[in-house]
Amino acid sequence: MNNLTFGRYSPFNTCVHRLDPRNKIFMMLLLMVSIFLKVDSWSTTLILTGFIFLFLVIVMIISKIRFLDLFKSLSTMWFLIIILMVIYVFIPNPSYNPNHIAFYIGTYGVNYDAFYQSGYIIFRLILMVMITMILTSTTSPMDLTYALEWYMTPLKLVKFPAHIVAMTLSIALRFIPTLLDETQRIMKAQASRGVDFNRGGLFKRVGAIISLIIPLFVSAISRSEELSNAMEARGYDPYAKRSRYRVLKFHLSDLFAFIIVGAIFAGFLTLRIYDGYIIKIDFIYWIFGAKPLF
Amino acid sequence: MAIKINDVSFSYLKKTPNEVKALDHVSFEIPKGKITSIIGHTGSGKSTLIQMLNGLLLPDSGFLEIDDFKVTSEKRKNKRIKDLRKHVSIVFQFPEYQLFEETVEKDVAFGLKNYGLKENESIEKAHLALKEVGLDKSFYKRSPFELSGGEKRRVAIAGILAIDPEILILDEPTAGLDPKGSELILNLIKELNRNGKTIILVTHDMNIVLNHSDYVIVLNDSTLSFKGTPSELFTRDVSNYSIEIPELFKFALLLKEHQLNIDIEKIKNVDDLINQLKEIK
Repeated sequence: MNNLTFGRYSPFNTCVHRLDPRNKIFMMLLLMVSIFLKVDSWSTTLILTGFIFLFLVIVMIISKIRFLDLFKSLSTMWFLIIILMVIYVFIPNPSYNPNHIAFYIGTYGVNYDAFYQSGYIIFRLILMVMITMILTSTTSPMDLTYALEWYMTPLKLVKFPAHIVAMTLSIALRFIPTLLDETQRIMKAQASRGVDFNRGGLFKRVGAIISLIIPLFVSAISRSEELSNAMEARGYDPYAKRSRYRVLKFHLSDLFAFIIVGAIFAGFLTLRIYDGYIIKIDFIYWIFGAKPLF
Repeated sequence: MAIKINDVSFSYLKKTPNEVKALDHVSFEIPKGKITSIIGHTGSGKSTLIQMLNGLLLPDSGFLEIDDFKVTSEKRKNKRIKDLRKHVSIVFQFPEYQLFEETVEKDVAFGLKNYGLKENESIEKAHLALKEVGLDKSFYKRSPFELSGGEKRRVAIAGILAIDPEILILDEPTAGLDPKGSELILNLIKELNRNGKTIILVTHDMNIVLNHSDYVIVLNDSTLSFKGTPSELFTRDVSNYSIEIPELFKFALLLKEHQLNIDIEKIKNVDDLINQLKEIK
């Protein structure tokens, strides 16, 4: 249950924390797109994603995110990783090189390419987790929803209730820590009655979870009712024009950060476009003058 | 054997910018078979301390001895934690939020089943516990969610009583209850104590401290500030503890200052004072 702290906002005051959330969301999208731009050669792809990995590690160090938290969140993904591996290894793919057979299971030849392919997917997943983790642990939920609302403003022209959606989102985000605390509280109360959440067979565990979920729902529902009453009592009107206590500002440091991420994105995009159309790029081939391994 | 707290320290959110020290080298003893109140301002470490007493939290340093159980900072040394939880049970603040079963009797029996009792045996014990908290047969088959606040709380307390712990800890047992509901709960606590249970109360209500507890422990800013009897506490200068001396006690002190022969130690409630005044006459 402690894994749930992954990606929770940690209020340090680093330069990454101080960036404009709108800018951070945009940069996150750029980096994610970069990760999924694949060039033809394996070695170049590896170098490029490795570069992003290094960049993200540096950002994580700057923003004081603990690597332990990253490993904790990744350790919950092992099931997904295994399933991916199995799918890639056992489903035949005509794009694999038929000469790259690693071993045979019966008459089915397991291709090396399948391992590369699944490894690459997993690596990209890890990068995605890192990017979202950097965003959510350096940006408070409130700032995130302000930024989302800002992005949704153009939709107001087509009568999209941007403010209501943003408010719903911000309340949902705001209540995640509260509900987590509540969960901990109920878990302790039930542990006092002899429930063991970590041990026991399936049947016992399901019983333990039920003793947690029902009280959690009851309290969440009563809380939501209280909240809506309190909001109405203070004159909340979703359709009224609202002002803001903290206005988001785009600083010079935002520009600087944007230039770095923008450059990475532009570099990736250029390589992607040139790759396969004009020249075949293979860094390893260029540097070592040797034919790449795969 | 008593309950010994030895040089215990604890912090929340360790190694983050939000780190909060909850207990700072606290040591004291809680006598068995008595009612002891733990008081202190919000955030003084009371809740942390009671959670350690049944192993829900482990101290960062120091250790706790509860009869022949020992709670230390090392996880692997606390192997008998489930037995400890049967020995020391906590009724948390607003315990009605932990109810979840379809019927009252099932909810009370839930804890017993967790400790390995059979269905019919646990239901039988649940009925006894419900009787103890003053809920009769008509409640057995009702849903806990349709009860009033005070009744829900009594069901929740019955759920803990059914386990029959030696030591019972109650975190603000009367918070949010009407005066009648509070009185019922407090009388129940007294009755339990008379039957030999050790009671630890966490409370902000000084009248409960004066009227119901034998000993009182004051935590202030994560450290121990006072231990002794309620009357000892209220005759001291308490301005630093953010507590209010009960009006009744203030009145008794004033009478004593005016040369009336009043035994402050024996004053727990209005009746005690009236009786003493009658004797003077």
